[in-house]
Amino acid sequence: MSRAKRIMKEMQAVKDDPEAHITLEFVSESDIHHLKGSFLGPPGTPYENGTFIVDIEVPMEYPFKPPKMKFDTKVYHPNVSSVTGAICLDILKNAWSPVITLKSALISLQALLQSPEPNDPQDAEVAQHYLKDRESFNKTAALWTQLYAGGDAAAANNGADPDEADLYGISQELVQEFESQGFQKDRIIEVLRRLGIKSLSPDDNDTVNRVIEELLE
Amino acid sequence: MTQMKSKTTPITSDYIDDPNYEKVHNPIFDSENISSFTLTEITDHKTDSGVLSQDSEFEIEDFAYSDDEFVYDDEENNETYDSMLSQPIKQITKKEMSEGSVPNLNYEVLTTQNIFKNMLSRLDHLQPVFNIPREDILLLMQHYDWNEERLLENWTERMDELLVEIGVSQKTSAVATSLEKKAENPDISGVKTKRGIAFKQSFECIICCEDKDTQTFSLECGHEYCIDCYRHYIENKLHNGNVITCMDCSLALKNIDIDTVMGHDSSKKLMASSIKSFIQKHNKNYKWCPYADCKCIIHLKDTSSLAEYTRLHFSPFVKCDAEHRFCFNCGFETHAPADCNVTNAWVKKAKKESENLNWVMSHTKECPKCGVNIEKDGGCNHMKCSSCKYEFCWICEGDWAPHGKSFYQCTLYTNDEKSKKKESEDLSKIMKKYTFYYRVFNEHEISAKLDWKLGQTIGSKVRALQEKMDVSWIEGQFLTDSIKILNEAVEDLSELLQIKDPEQIMKNKLEFYNKSGYVENRMYALMECGRDLLCKGICKPTD
Ligand SMILES: [Zn+2]
Ligand SMILES: [Zn+2]
Ligand SMILES: [Zn+2]
Ligand SMILES: [Zn+2]
Ligand SMILES: [Zn+2]
Ligand SMILES: [Zn+2]
Repeated sequence: MSRAKRIMKEMQAVKDDPEAHITLEFVSESDIHHLKGSFLGPPGTPYENGTFIVDIEVPMEYPFKPPKMKFDTKVYHPNVSSVTGAICLDILKNAWSPVITLKSALISLQALLQSPEPNDPQDAEVAQHYLKDRESFNKTAALWTQLYAGGDAAAANNGADPDEADLYGISQELVQEFESQGFQKDRIIEVLRRLGIKSLSPDDNDTVNRVIEELLE
Repeated sequence: MTQMKSKTTPITSDYIDDPNYEKVHNPIFDSENISSFTLTEITDHKTDSGVLSQDSEFEIEDFAYSDDEFVYDDEENNETYDSMLSQPIKQITKKEMSEGSVPNLNYEVLTTQNIFKNMLSRLDHLQPVFNIPREDILLLMQHYDWNEERLLENWTERMDELLVEIGVSQKTSAVATSLEKKAENPDISGVKTKRGIAFKQSFECIICCEDKDTQTFSLECGHEYCIDCYRHYIENKLHNGNVITCMDCSLALKNIDIDTVMGHDSSKKLMASSIKSFIQKHNKNYKWCPYADCKCIIHLKDTSSLAEYTRLHFSPFVKCDAEHRFCFNCGFETHAPADCNVTNAWVKKAKKESENLNWVMSHTKECPKCGVNIEKDGGCNHMKCSSCKYEFCWICEGDWAPHGKSFYQCTLYTNDEKSKKKESEDLSKIMKKYTFYYRVFNEHEISAKLDWKLGQTIGSKVRALQEKMDVSWIEGQFLTDSIKILNEAVEDLSELLQIKDPEQIMKNKLEFYNKSGYVENRMYALMECGRDLLCKGICKPTD
């Protein structure tokens, strides 16, 4: 029963430190192994002002085995799956130690948002974007933060559906160019995502042809 | 037919077909399968007799070669047998043949304990170089996956760093690693504690958060936790073979610490898992015996001869201490006369084809009336059950009558009938052929396993006989040896069959004759022995 005592103590430690802006709550009072945690996006990053909610499953062998954590909030980040929220972080796997707490793990996630590790990616498409065009990546990540993590501009956006191309950092001109050739917009975005192409220089005919080939498949 | 039989019957001893069989047939026992009941009787397992008797083998012969459905005429057989093995067998050139046969494999049979002992003796060797305690060298070797060269290289380059990195010694200024930990245990840094177990009253353990009178454990770093938590922690780490460190810093636990905390020699477990990962990393030279529960490891020091084996289409068969034979190259059980590529191709095909069962599902249907399996043989959807003559539509499985005049088209079915039919016929042919070979293969595999089991059972039964009954030691030993020798001779013979060059086969004609003659003699000798036991009334035939 040491697990229950430890979790209760960890909850208290989080409450005692409101400065950290971290929360930790049970999903239901009757189940101590399922929690939700949250933290603020690190300032000076595209995640600034976002609140990121993390689903936490505490295993039977906790704290000798790591908790299972994944983002509930959609995050655009090389080490987080943009679809499932799965996280690639060593301390949640083999580098786990019983001295690490749920709070320190959440702080590590915050640090991960601060400094991505694109060479050990969870989401290859996002990691490519990050490595190829940092500026465009930052824009997309900030857009996701606004849309999904309740960032500043969320209110300004009025809940309108975001443009699919913007959502994946694909240049509008590029999409329009293929649209003018008679292809469907969602099909174009799907192919460009699959090929990892966000923008193109106008004289790169090889790549244009490859995209068209895929579109004609 | 006979041609195919010689190709596909590598191991089984189908001596019943042998005209000489009559000569050794004992007239007293009017049984078609004397060997079967002899063996059954010796094993004396009534319930097992069905499995252990040779009966099953006769049945195999029956269905494999005389079931009309599975017989191929010779013409088709010749052509399809070659295309069956998708990897073409490279012809061996004359020059290659004249270069002689494959070199002997020089290997040793080991266990993880053996390997660990070898490592320890290496360690004694290295001690003068390192000039640190043995236990510490062990940590270094464990960390470097027992790779001496890499360790020595790093050791000469940056001795002190290495000792800190691997956790043999502490950083000179012991500082807690993260801010957070410092906040939780503000008084840890800088404190030097004694390594080992202590007893503390009202100790608050930060891992389990209990406050209790308890034994604790800590290394020099002073990261102290209750003994229960430490045990739990170590228990969870024993199986991956890595160096176990303090929960909060990189200081390493030595084997003696592990045993102190766990109260018994758990460090052995850790060492065994470390050796296992060593084997994993050196799997070119070390191979686990693939037999279930066998703990033998084959160590081949010089793997250069393996290329020669591959080139000449031989397979490097090895034998562990438990007499399991397997191929060092591919890890499958001995597969002579097929070489590794052919074996792999076959295994892959078998895997793929089992997925093709889906094909069978989509090309056969049960008759909606009587349930007999019917295969659709082309585009026509007007089906007629061969068993009950019920006529129905393939697509909707309904009675044919309402479909009326549109014999080839259900309202739903619009495809190019001609190409469909051709494709379907081809597939069905391939499937039939595959099924045929698969069944032959499967049954041979089963009978080989049964043979082995039979050998084992006979061995133990003979021992029992020797103890209980009036069978002389020599007689009993003879029976055991005979079976072993027979098995080995059969293996040798099938290894001879690995030779693929027709010319070479002719050259080796005499050897073939000698070997097969030898196998035959052993077989008769064995049957004589069994018959002897029957005559003396030591064993009795059963129904
Ligand atoms: Zn404890
Ligand atoms: Zn420590
Ligand atoms: Zn073995
Ligand atoms: Zn092989
Ligand atoms: Zn029928
Ligand atoms: Zn129909």
